[in-house]
Amino acid sequence: MTEVNVKKEIANNISRITSEGADYVDARYYLDDSSETLLLYDGDLEANDTTVESGIGVRVLWEGAWGFSATSDPSGIDACFRKAAANARTASRLVKVPLSMGVGEAVKGSYASPVEVDPFSVNLQDKLAFLTRLDNDLKEDFIIKRMVFVNFQKKKIHFQNSEGSEINKDLASVFGTIMVMALDSDGEMQRRSMSLYSTGDGTAGWKMMTDPELFAGHAVRVKSELAELIKAEPLEYGRRSVILLPGQGHLQVHETIGHPLELDRILGYELSYAGGSFVDLDSFGKLRYGSDKLSVSSYGSIANSPGSFGFDDDGTPERDYLLIDRGILVNALTSRAMVNEANGRAGREVFAQSGGAARATSFYRAPIDRMTNVNILPGNDGSEEQIIASTEDGIVVDNPVSWSIGSNREHFHFGCEIAWEVKNGEKTRVLRNPTYQGHTLEFYGSLSAVGDKSTWIVEQVNNCGKGEPNQVMQIGHGVPVIKFDDVITGERK
Amino acid sequence: MLDANIRKILMQVRDEAAESGIQATLQLHHEKSHLMRIGNNSVSLNTSEDLLRLDMEVTEGRKQGSQTYLGAINDVDTVRGILNAAREKARMASPKTYDPILDEVETSISEDSQFDLDLADIDPGMKVEAYRNIIERLGGQYNFSGSWSSGLMQVYLLTTANRNEAYHRGTDQIFSIVLKHPQAKWELTHNQTGWRASDFTVDKTIDTLSKLIPVFEDNDGFKAEPGEYTVIFGPSAVAEIIGMAVYTGLAGRSWEEKQSWTTKYKIGEKILGDKISVVDDPKNPQTFMFGFDMCGRRRNIFPLVEDGELMNLMYDSATAAKYGKKPTGHDTGSPSIVMDTGFGPADPLEAVKDMGRVLYIPALHYMNIPSRSKGIFTGSSRFNAVLVEDGKIVSPIFSSRVTDSFGNVLGNVKVISSVSESVNESNTYGRRAPVAMSVPSYVVSEGVKITDSADSF
Repeated sequence: MTEVNVKKEIANNISRITSEGADYVDARYYLDDSSETLLLYDGDLEANDTTVESGIGVRVLWEGAWGFSATSDPSGIDACFRKAAANARTASRLVKVPLSMGVGEAVKGSYASPVEVDPFSVNLQDKLAFLTRLDNDLKEDFIIKRMVFVNFQKKKIHFQNSEGSEINKDLASVFGTIMVMALDSDGEMQRRSMSLYSTGDGTAGWKMMTDPELFAGHAVRVKSELAELIKAEPLEYGRRSVILLPGQGHLQVHETIGHPLELDRILGYELSYAGGSFVDLDSFGKLRYGSDKLSVSSYGSIANSPGSFGFDDDGTPERDYLLIDRGILVNALTSRAMVNEANGRAGREVFAQSGGAARATSFYRAPIDRMTNVNILPGNDGSEEQIIASTEDGIVVDNPVSWSIGSNREHFHFGCEIAWEVKNGEKTRVLRNPTYQGHTLEFYGSLSAVGDKSTWIVEQVNNCGKGEPNQVMQIGHGVPVIKFDDVITGERK
Repeated sequence: MLDANIRKILMQVRDEAAESGIQATLQLHHEKSHLMRIGNNSVSLNTSEDLLRLDMEVTEGRKQGSQTYLGAINDVDTVRGILNAAREKARMASPKTYDPILDEVETSISEDSQFDLDLADIDPGMKVEAYRNIIERLGGQYNFSGSWSSGLMQVYLLTTANRNEAYHRGTDQIFSIVLKHPQAKWELTHNQTGWRASDFTVDKTIDTLSKLIPVFEDNDGFKAEPGEYTVIFGPSAVAEIIGMAVYTGLAGRSWEEKQSWTTKYKIGEKILGDKISVVDDPKNPQTFMFGFDMCGRRRNIFPLVEDGELMNLMYDSATAAKYGKKPTGHDTGSPSIVMDTGFGPADPLEAVKDMGRVLYIPALHYMNIPSRSKGIFTGSSRFNAVLVEDGKIVSPIFSSRVTDSFGNVLGNVKVISSVSESVNESNTYGRRAPVAMSVPSYVVSEGVKITDSADSF
């Protein structure tokens, strides 16, 4: 079946299901959803994989309940719509609070990630030659393990809904990581890594991968830091300042600002798997989430990031807005149905409109509330060096090793790859096995320094898990260097 | 059974590839999945997917490439195209420094002993009525959420090494419900698992939650200050700890590459407490039983830890090739990890009646590994966690963090339940791949480190 015919079939089915009484119908037609993964491990090509998917996902809202169905068989479009409608009708038999998409206007538009060189168009041998060069750059006698990982993704999506919206998206992302490992003086494996990041501008394709600043030129630094790490003492338990470089700061933001501000979590729709949130509907406009230095945005009008996609899977244009304004919680990551439910439940307008955060990872998953780009805005506390200079007793930490978060995101524990001790305004030595833990509101209340624009980069997340059926999503986090005081670090003896 | 036309197409392409001297593995994965989500006492999503995936891997000497296709398979040309794409990737690949071990279906096998037509074709309306029943009987004043995933999975494996066929068909389900107090915010949960529709009953959930509700309604939360405690770990927590210990400690790759908490030990040495025995047993019916792995090797009972001693390490095909070992049938997403039961009474409260103050932590939320080398894990209590004194439940406990080592927690075990329980560890991030562990219904450990606690549930 041709692309045109598929789209006609979709339109006909949307009309039919709507005329039968559906509250709302939409369909996402993935013409192409491709992913390529290459992994060099100790120089051996351990992954040389491409995945190609295409299909249609159909969502029907019937008397306040969602039904969903997906098919990868173009000849099964009618059946897929019928199944989604039947699922919605069945679901509507148990509805206490009917879901509603509200009144939406037809949205017509398109979006394309800013790709100059499509990684899928680059010859595999050229890609492998590039990876091999990176791998060679990582070689040293003391290094036991080396890893070079890249992943390319592209999605060509056509969206239609019963409000007359028609949106076309061409999304592309690239991800890359280099890592080296070596044994420390106690025989424990230590690692140091670096992942491709974005400045928020530029192109999202192959050129990012080969840019020395964004990815390709970090081997020497990573190796020298590992060399220091394996000779380092372990971090001792104690309270001290913690300075998070973006490699760690983005995950802190992700886990303790992003996830707790997903409105479906706040409303209790994720309890059986991901968990809830310490935030409730009364928190908005009142809750002091952090110090005055904390301002956090969603999307942030970042041109080049996995969290920039033009229109969400409700058909809502992606919006740039504040989640936290100078320490006060003001908004959430929202989709249309969740906004309507929240406002209805609160009996007032908590949220003026959808934040454009309904996202599905593939055609065979239904959209849920996700992060887009969740960003800490740059501050006025200068460069990383200036923040260190203002620190009496602390550590600078980078890149996660482990992360474990309370079910309502009220507390957390992180392990990092590396710490640099800071005494009286100077980095004094490297420390290994750094961990820190805290309680979310107390922690952000202790935010004492936010780096300026020179410290701000967009870290890319390729593996955010949420939802049932489970979905892995790609997200961006623009973060500067950030400092927190009086944090519990290390482990008690 | 497997669609006859698809089987014919795949065998034809296999034969063509074999005749052309191509070394290839063809793996078909078909899932027919259904999932119902509950949120705020309503069905929040009712979803069905019918998906067919074909994985092709081609080996040319030391070079390998693979292609995965998700879509319809109606003709030979589609499959030939996927094979050619994988072959092209293999041709252009850089060679490995070792010889890959070629996949081979050792013997033809067709298994469906855990297939239930009633579960494969379950009526979503039945799930609606079950949730309605539970909500109405336990009380609509609470906030209920949950999910219920069920489905059919078929795997069909061919290699160009021979014409043997490996086929697996099975059904599985995992049911969960969370009961949350809208003001006090404590959360209770109950899960059910199995491969038959009849493995689920409404009454099991009602009975379990009914006993816990008064404890949480009538008592304030207990804040466990950081320190060492005697802890009863319930089945989900035991499965999490054992599963993570196996993943980080008993995989050949981690051990060979000195990234494991077992690296300093040799086979036969003591790595855990005397009471701990763990085996990968693909014939244990409390797990989802897979008789072959995705390289075509038969899976047999495989001792991992016996009375605390390291017995074997699990080698996947690539690791075995790289380190000169034999693959052990562990190229699988569905291992059958079984921890041996002990001699403790069925009731965990009876087991700790002389132990004074004890924390009962049935499940650990969001477990992770700050140090693989030291085997240190961290995670926090969540559902159904209570304080027990002299064998009696006295109050719920606030969210508490356990940060400790496998060596300590599994080395200081006082009591292990004599009753085993199946714990479903599946996720649905990629394709349907059911995983369940069989573990004792509780384990009591002394000196467990609580490193943080919240003032809330």
